[in-house]
Amino acid sequence: MKKLAAALLLFCAYAVAEAPQAVAIRNARIVTVSGPAIAKGTVVVRNGLIEAVGDNVPVPADAWVVDGEGLTVYPGLIDALSTVGIPGAAPAAAAGGRGAGRGAAPATPTVTAPAPAAQTEPRAWGPEDRPATTSWLLAADEIQATDHRIETVRSAGVTTAATFPTRGIFAGQGSLVDLISGEKAGEMVLVPSVGQYISLSRGGFGGGGGGGGGGFPSSLMGTIAYIRQIYLDAAHYQLVKDAYAHDPRGMRRPEYDRALEGVLESKRILLPANRLVEIDRMLRFAAELKQPAILYGAREAYRPEAAELLKKGGASVLVSLKWPEPPARTADSEDTDTLRTLETRDKAPAAPAALQKAGVKFALYSDGIDQPRDFQRAVKKALDNGLSREDAVRALTLSPAEIYGVADRLGSIEKGKIANLVVTRGEIFDDRTKVEMIFVDGRKYTPAADTTAPGGRGQTTDNPGGNR
Amino acid sequence: MRRILLGALVALAPLSAATIVIQNGTIMTVSKGTVKGSVVVKDGKIAEVGEKVMMPQGATVIDAAGQYVIPGIIDCHSHIAADGGINEGSVSVSSMVDIRDVLNPEDIAIYRALAGGVTTANILHGSANAIGGCTLPIKMRWGKDAQGLIFEGATPGIKFALGENPKRAGNPQGRGINGQVQVARYPATRMGIDDTIREAFNEAKAYKAEWDEYQAKTARGEHPIPPRKDLKLEALKEVLEGKRYVHAHCYRADEILMLLRVADDYGFKIRTFQHVLEGYKVAKEIAAHGAGGSTFSDWWSYKVEAFDAIPYNAAIMQKYGVVVSLNSDDAELMRHLNSEAGKVMKYGGLSETEALAMVTLNPAKQLGIDNRVGSIEPGKDADLVIYDKFPLSDYAKVQKVLIDGTVYFDRDKEVSGRAAKQAEKQKLIDKEKQNQQRQQPTRRPGQ
Amino acid sequence: MRLLAVMMGCAMAAGAASSDTVLIRDVDVYPVSGAAMKGVSVLIQDGKIADIAARIVAPKGARVVEAKGLRVYPGMIDSGTELGLSEISAVRESVDTGELGEFMPQLRALVAVNPESEHFPVVRVNGITSVMTFPASGGRGGGRFGGGEQQFISGQAALIHTDGWTWEEMEINRSAAMHLIFPSRGGRGGRGGGAPPDAVPEIIPGAAGAAGGANAQRTYLDQIAKISAFFDDARKYQKARTANAPGFHRDLKFEAMIPVLEGKMPVGVSASRASAIHDAIAFAEKQNIKIVILQPREIGKAGAELKAKNIPVILGRVLALPESEDDAYDQSFTLPREAYQAGVKFAFGTFNNEFVRNLPYQAATAVAFGLPYDEALRAVTLSPAEIWGVSDRLGSVEKGKVADLLVTDGDPLEIQTQVKHLYIKGKEIALTNKQTRLYEKYMNR
Repeated sequence: MKKLAAALLLFCAYAVAEAPQAVAIRNARIVTVSGPAIAKGTVVVRNGLIEAVGDNVPVPADAWVVDGEGLTVYPGLIDALSTVGIPGAAPAAAAGGRGAGRGAAPATPTVTAPAPAAQTEPRAWGPEDRPATTSWLLAADEIQATDHRIETVRSAGVTTAATFPTRGIFAGQGSLVDLISGEKAGEMVLVPSVGQYISLSRGGFGGGGGGGGGGFPSSLMGTIAYIRQIYLDAAHYQLVKDAYAHDPRGMRRPEYDRALEGVLESKRILLPANRLVEIDRMLRFAAELKQPAILYGAREAYRPEAAELLKKGGASVLVSLKWPEPPARTADSEDTDTLRTLETRDKAPAAPAALQKAGVKFALYSDGIDQPRDFQRAVKKALDNGLSREDAVRALTLSPAEIYGVADRLGSIEKGKIANLVVTRGEIFDDRTKVEMIFVDGRKYTPAADTTAPGGRGQTTDNPGGNR
Repeated sequence: MRRILLGALVALAPLSAATIVIQNGTIMTVSKGTVKGSVVVKDGKIAEVGEKVMMPQGATVIDAAGQYVIPGIIDCHSHIAADGGINEGSVSVSSMVDIRDVLNPEDIAIYRALAGGVTTANILHGSANAIGGCTLPIKMRWGKDAQGLIFEGATPGIKFALGENPKRAGNPQGRGINGQVQVARYPATRMGIDDTIREAFNEAKAYKAEWDEYQAKTARGEHPIPPRKDLKLEALKEVLEGKRYVHAHCYRADEILMLLRVADDYGFKIRTFQHVLEGYKVAKEIAAHGAGGSTFSDWWSYKVEAFDAIPYNAAIMQKYGVVVSLNSDDAELMRHLNSEAGKVMKYGGLSETEALAMVTLNPAKQLGIDNRVGSIEPGKDADLVIYDKFPLSDYAKVQKVLIDGTVYFDRDKEVSGRAAKQAEKQKLIDKEKQNQQRQQPTRRPGQ
Repeated sequence: MRLLAVMMGCAMAAGAASSDTVLIRDVDVYPVSGAAMKGVSVLIQDGKIADIAARIVAPKGARVVEAKGLRVYPGMIDSGTELGLSEISAVRESVDTGELGEFMPQLRALVAVNPESEHFPVVRVNGITSVMTFPASGGRGGGRFGGGEQQFISGQAALIHTDGWTWEEMEINRSAAMHLIFPSRGGRGGRGGGAPPDAVPEIIPGAAGAAGGANAQRTYLDQIAKISAFFDDARKYQKARTANAPGFHRDLKFEAMIPVLEGKMPVGVSASRASAIHDAIAFAEKQNIKIVILQPREIGKAGAELKAKNIPVILGRVLALPESEDDAYDQSFTLPREAYQAGVKFAFGTFNNEFVRNLPYQAATAVAFGLPYDEALRAVTLSPAEIWGVSDRLGSVEKGKVADLLVTDGDPLEIQTQVKHLYIKGKEIALTNKQTRLYEKYMNR
C-alpha cells in the first residue's frame, strides 16, 4: 500500500488528490484535540468523513491502509482569516504595518493590486453614498479553485480557511472553505457566510486622505461614524421592511439597499484591533453596535490589560501570525525604534500564551504567511514565547471551529466530523517536522515542495513573517 | 516605558488614596486671591484652602515652601490624544464624527502636556470644514484608558470653522495624494460658509421637527415608525437644544459677526470663538451674544487672516466683557500656557489673577465645567499644579501635577526614572541584535 | 491703560528721535561684558555709546532721560530669522526665502529685505535690535512652495538692524554667513511641533525623500560628495583667478565662495543630529573653512568636538517638542544647558519670524532648565555678536560701541518686563507698530 501511495505520488506530481473509498491510518499517534491524544491508534476515513477513531478500531477490508508508525495525525489546520481562493485579493488581512506602537496604522489589510472599484467608485459625500462598501459580496461566490495559493497553504497543513473579501470598510462576507483542488469552487464551501469583514481603512478604494480632496470617510473617526450610521440605518431599514411586509397598503415602498442587506445577512463582524487602545475601542464599539464580534490583529494582546479586557468583553480574537519585525537598517543607522515599538516586537509573539492564560477564546491566522516553512516558524515563535504545543494546535483547529460555529463538523478528530487531517513525522510546528500528507474532505494530498527556496515559485505574497 | 510609568503610578498610588496637604506654598486660587498657606485634598477634591488649615490625621504632606500652587491649566483648544486624523475633511458638514471614538490615551502628548501643568483639554476636531465633528474635554489622566480620560459629565461640543481653512477644499490646487483630479468641495468662499451652516441648520430644524412629532405621537400612545436616526443631524439637533456647545474656529471680524447672526437666526448659541484673532474688532458683539473667546497670546502673521492679530486681543475682548481664555491648538504651546498667560500681563496690563484665569477659570467657564475645575476652592476637583517659581513666567517649571488628588506628574521622579527607562530600552535593542545575529547563519541564500 | 500711557509717552519720545545726543540718567546698566553698574549715566552720541559714568554733564542740546529704577541692556540679537524676507508665511507672494537651485552662494538675503515689513517694529519693541536673516532659515530650499528640491547652499545670510529706511541702512554685514544645508541621514526628521497652526511645516532636508536604510545612507554620502565637489570646483576657480590666466571668465557663484574659502566668511551649517554635526565638522576641516552649526536637535557626542574646534552653535527654538516619544519631555528645554556644560559657544535663534519677539523668553526657558542666567543673557547679546564677528561694535553696553540699547523696567528675559526706551544706532525708536495702532484704535471703538 505504501508503495502504491508512493507510486501515485510520483505519477501525479502534486496537487492531485487521491480519493479512495476509505482510508485507514493505523499505528499512528492521534491528537484528537477534543479528547486526549491516542498514543497508538487508528483513524478511518470514508466518504470525506471520519468513520472511526480510537486505539482499538478495526481496519475496514476495503480501506487503503497507511502505516502510521512514527506519524502523528492532527485535525486539519484552520486558517481563521485568509483570502486564499480569492485571486488578486489582498494577501490575507494583514494587521497593520511592520513595527508597532503609536502612529502605527490601525489593523488594515495590505492591498497588492488596486481593486477595480478604485477607479470606478465615485467620490462619496457622506454615509448615504455607502463608500467602500461591498457588504453583499460573498467570498464563496468569488472563490476560484484554481488559485495556486490553495496548494501552498494546504502544504503547511491548512485544510480549511475562513476566507474573506478584504477590500473596503464593509468588505463583504467571508466563507469557510475546504482547501481541495477541485474543479468546482462550490465543492469547497463549508459555510457560505461566516461574518462581515470590516476594516477601518478604505483599503483599495479610491479617495481617502485627510484633506478635502478625497471622499468620505477620510479619517478613523469618519469611518467609525460611517459604520455606526450603517447599523442605525440597517435597524431602521429592517423596521420599515417589516412594517411594509406586515401591511403594505398606504405605505411607501422601502427602497432596496444592498449595502444594508449585506450587513443584515452577516452573522458576526470582524473588527481590526492591534494596539491595546484599539482592542478597548473595538470591544466598546462592538458592544454599542450589539453585534457579535471577532477582533483580528491582536498584536498588543500580550499586555495584561488587553487580555483582561478581552476576557471581560467575551470577544473572540484572531491573532495574526505575522509578528512585527525590525525594519531593514544599515549598521550605522542611528535611528532606534521607540521603547514601545521594541517592546511590541519583543512581546507580540507572547500574545497567544497570554490569551490562553487569561482564558480568552482565540485562534491564530496566517495574515499572508502562505509558505509552509514561514508558517511553521511563525507558530514556533508563539511556542517559544510560552504557548504550549497543545494550545497552539487548538488555536489552529478546534478554537477557530468554535469561533465560527462549526465545531460540530470541524476542528477535532471525532467520529462523524469532516475528514480534514494533517499527518506529520515529528511534532507539528517543529523545525524539522515534515508534513507527510494532508486529508481534506477525505481526499489525500501530499505537500508540494517548499517554494520558499530561491528560485521557487512565489514568495509569500507579503513580507514573510519568518525569522529574517 | 509604559511599564515603568505604570510602575511609577503604582508607587504613587498611596498618594491618591490618602489625604494630601500641600503646605507652605503660595497658593494662587484665582477665585479667592493669593494666599500663603496650605491646600488640603481629600478624596480627590479640595477640602480646604487657607493660611492655616486643619492638618488631617495621616495626611501625606507635600512641602511647597518657596513654591507656587495654581489650579490645573485648562486648554480650550487641543488636538492631542486622537487617533487616525482630527479632520473629517471630505465633507463640508462632518457633525457625524466624534473625537470621543478615537481617543488615544497612550499619546505621549498627554504626558508632555501634563508636564506643562495642563490637567484638562478640550479635544477638538480640525478646521477643514464649516461644521466639523463632535468634541469633548478630557483630563490628562496618563495611564488610564480612553474612557478614563473623559471629563465626566461635561457638555460635549462641536467644532465649526470659518475663513481660509474650510474654503480651502473649495479651491483645490494640484492633484490629490494618489494623483487623482481633485473635486472641489463646496464652499469656496466665506459667503459659501455662511450658506453651508445655514443649510445645515435648516435641515437640522426639519429633522428636529420630525423627531418632535414622532415623540408627540408616541406620547399620545400611537405607535409610529421612528424617523431614521441621522448622526450628522443628531449633533446639530443637540446644538439647537443647547445640549452641545459650538466651538467655532475663526479669524476675521466679518466671519465672527456672520456666525453670530446665523446663530441668532436659527436660535442657537456660540459657546466659544476659537483663535478669534480679530475678536478685538467685534468684542462688543461677541459679548452681547454671550460667547467666549479662546485665543492665542501673541501668534500672528502665519496666514492672511492672522495678519491683523494683536497680542492685546485677549485684553480688549476682556475689557468688553467677553470671557477670554488662552489656548494652544498645539502640542508644544500647550506645555507652557502658564507663560502665555504672562504675556497678557505684558501686552494688556492685566493683573496676575486675570491672566492666570485665562488658562484656568475662564476656559473652565467656557467649557461649562467651572463648577468642577478652574480655581482652588473647597469642593472642586483637586487638579493642582506646583511650580518652583512664579508661574506666569518662563523661569517657572512644573514640579508636580495632581488630578483628582492623584499625583500624575512628579518632576523628580520623572528625572530619576530616566536611567532605568534607557536601560530597559537598551536591553531590548541588544536582545533584538542578538536574535538577528543568531539567525544570520540559518539565513537562506538569496535572502 | 497703563500701557496706553506708556505708548503715548513713547510717541512723544519718537517725536524727539532726531536728536543725536541722549543722556540716560540715574540708570542701572547691565553691560553683559562686565558687572552691573547701578545709578550711572549713559551718554549716546553720534550713534555710539559715548560714555558711561557715575556722573555725566549733559552736553548742550542733549535730551535727558530720567531713568531712575530702570535698567539699560544691550540690544538683543536673534541669530536665526527670515525677517524682511517673509511677511505672511503662508502666502507665496510675500515670501522670498528658499530660492531654486542646489548651489546658490551668490544670493544675498540682504537685497530682498523689505524695510517696511511689519515684523520689524513688532520685534524691536521687545528689544531685538539686530538679527541674522537667512535665505532659508528652516533648512528649506529649492523653492519653498515649489518643487521642494534638495538645496545645499541657499545663499548669504545678512546681519541687519531691525530699523532703517533702506536695507543699506539696516545692514551690519551683508555677508555675515554662507548658509549650507547639510544633508541628513534621513530617518526621523523634522522638528517637533510648536509651529503656528496651518504654518508651512519645516522640513529637515533629505528627510522626506529618504527611503530609509541603505538607500538613505547612500543618498547621504552622495550628497556630501556633491557638496565637496562644489567646494573643490570653487577652489580650482580661486586658483585660476589668482593666476589670472588669459581666458579667465568670472563666475558669480564661485566669486561668492571666495570669502568662504579664504576663511573670511563663516558657513552656517544646518545640521540636526550629532552625527551630522560630526560629519559637518569633518567636512569643514577638510575644506579648511570656518563654520557655525545651526539649529542642532542634539549636542551629545558632538559636544567635545565642537568645544575642541571652537565651533559655535546657534540653538534653535528652546520651546520645541522632543523628537521621539522616548525623548525626555524637556529635551529641547535642556539643550542650551547641555551646550553650556559641554563648553560649546552658543547663541539663540528663533528660526521663525513669528517667534523672534519671544527670543528672550526662549532664553528664560533655558534658564528654568539649568542654563545659568548670565549665559542665557549673553546668548542673546554678546555671544552672537562674537559669533558673527561684530563684538567690537555690538552685543554689550560699552563705551564706543554702537548704541543699540534698551531701557527696561526689569529683566529683559522676563515676560512681564516692559521696554521703556529703545535705541538703535543711537536713534530713539518709537515703541509702536501695527499691533499697538490696532490696539489703540479698537480700545476706543
